[in-house]
Amino acid sequence: MKAYLGRHAQVFMRTLGDFARSPAATLLTVAMIGVTLMLPTGLYVALLNLQRLSHHWQPRGSLTVYLKRHTDTRATAARLDALPGVAASRYISPEQGLQELRTRARLRVAVGILRHNPLPAVVILRPRSQTAHAVAALARQVATLPGVAHVESNFTWLRRLDAVLALGHRAVAILAALLGLALVLILGNTTRASVASRAAEISVVRLVGGTNAFIRRPFLYAGALAGGLGALCALIFLELALWALDGPVQRLDTLYGSAYKLVGLGAGQALGLLALGAGLGWLGARIAVGHQLRRDQG
Amino acid sequence: MIEFSHVFKRYPLGTEALSDVSFTLAKGEMAFLTGPSGAGKSTLLRLVCRLERATRGRIVVNGHDVSRLSPRRLPYLRREIGVVFQDNRLLNDRTVFDNVALPLFVAGMTGEDVRKRVWAALDKVGLRGRERAYPLALSGGEQQRVGIARALVHRPPLLIADEPTGNLDAKLSDDIIDLFREFNDHGVTVLIATHELRHLERLRKRVIRLGHGHMVDAA
Repeated sequence: MKAYLGRHAQVFMRTLGDFARSPAATLLTVAMIGVTLMLPTGLYVALLNLQRLSHHWQPRGSLTVYLKRHTDTRATAARLDALPGVAASRYISPEQGLQELRTRARLRVAVGILRHNPLPAVVILRPRSQTAHAVAALARQVATLPGVAHVESNFTWLRRLDAVLALGHRAVAILAALLGLALVLILGNTTRASVASRAAEISVVRLVGGTNAFIRRPFLYAGALAGGLGALCALIFLELALWALDGPVQRLDTLYGSAYKLVGLGAGQALGLLALGAGLGWLGARIAVGHQLRRDQG
Repeated sequence: MIEFSHVFKRYPLGTEALSDVSFTLAKGEMAFLTGPSGAGKSTLLRLVCRLERATRGRIVVNGHDVSRLSPRRLPYLRREIGVVFQDNRLLNDRTVFDNVALPLFVAGMTGEDVRKRVWAALDKVGLRGRERAYPLALSGGEQQRVGIARALVHRPPLLIADEPTGNLDAKLSDDIIDLFREFNDHGVTVLIATHELRHLERLRKRVIRLGHGHMVDAA
């Protein structure tokens, strides 16, 4: 076991040495992989932020219930509050509504002109269940109650946003699959070139009894290492991009009067990306070197 | 140690390199393989370590049926044979030490054992102290001796050499052949392909003669 580890450590160190001896080529490959991985990861992080932002803007799935005039609106409100699907409710009387309008500077004059209060009483409901289905069902139920004039839900646009985000996620998944394939191909090609340039060495290793596993090993290490370093490069690009975007986002936030902080990848996800990069690099190298060796053996 | 029975080797374009070659080389024996250029000496040696496959016939090397050996088992056959080429086939981007150590690395040996074996092998060929040199900094004779050290560092029971003295002057050439005889004295089976008749007369070992792919004399 110790000898086994020693052997692997030896090959690993030699691979690092090979990288250090050709820094330009290594840097190019690693940067290329970095950009390739950065694209889907960046999009994913953008979607993540958009999703968080949509939560931030609106309590999800609240219902605005407009009550009929000239009815006992408080009683209706109490009935609404008692519904089993309702987590919380807030009653806004016509007077309160008008008061709220007055506080808005631009509307103050308009409100002053009004001779009587045109606003209906309103109840804002927060459904107990936040699933699309449950909120829609509650909206239908509320609409049939006596004393209710109209139910409006912010749900439609939220659902549209969700659909758009789902589409985005799917697009990211497709892009990630394609670019993952690109990474395998990039490293496959690099490996093929490096196997070809070491043909003399490989033939000597064969002659003295090197197994295919022994011949493959340095190339697999090189592939995995380049993939891993590429992923690290992608993480660095991503952090730089987030850092560059942070200022403008802060400004936008102040204008909207909310406080939003951009999120990047978590530690687990970052490690996952590194592992994925190394794994795909290994795979690309494995396919290329396996193909070369089979051809050699003919 | 080596047993050829009715071996044929035909190349794709129809040239027959070997036809109906049979001979046996016993364990611990030393023999010269000789004949004019193009007689099939190199082909025969390449068949022994299965750098090529025979078209027909049976080849047994150290108990392995070479023509039936699976690719997976092939490396283990090669580890039992030390091979020396005329063009020595050294890796010029690695030091003498790394070149000689290659068969040990390949077999999974590491650390102190490797160092001891490599030093011993270099000592035997008279190159102790040149471990850190690169092959291109050495003379032709020295390079050939590095190749020999690499062929015997893992102590194979069989050593085969294809024109190991081809590019060397008479003195160096004799030294190298003497080196092979010394290994043979230690029990290694040795088969050397050469067209230098001088060695045959000097050493009085067994001679296997090939002529245009045919066995001329195996006595």
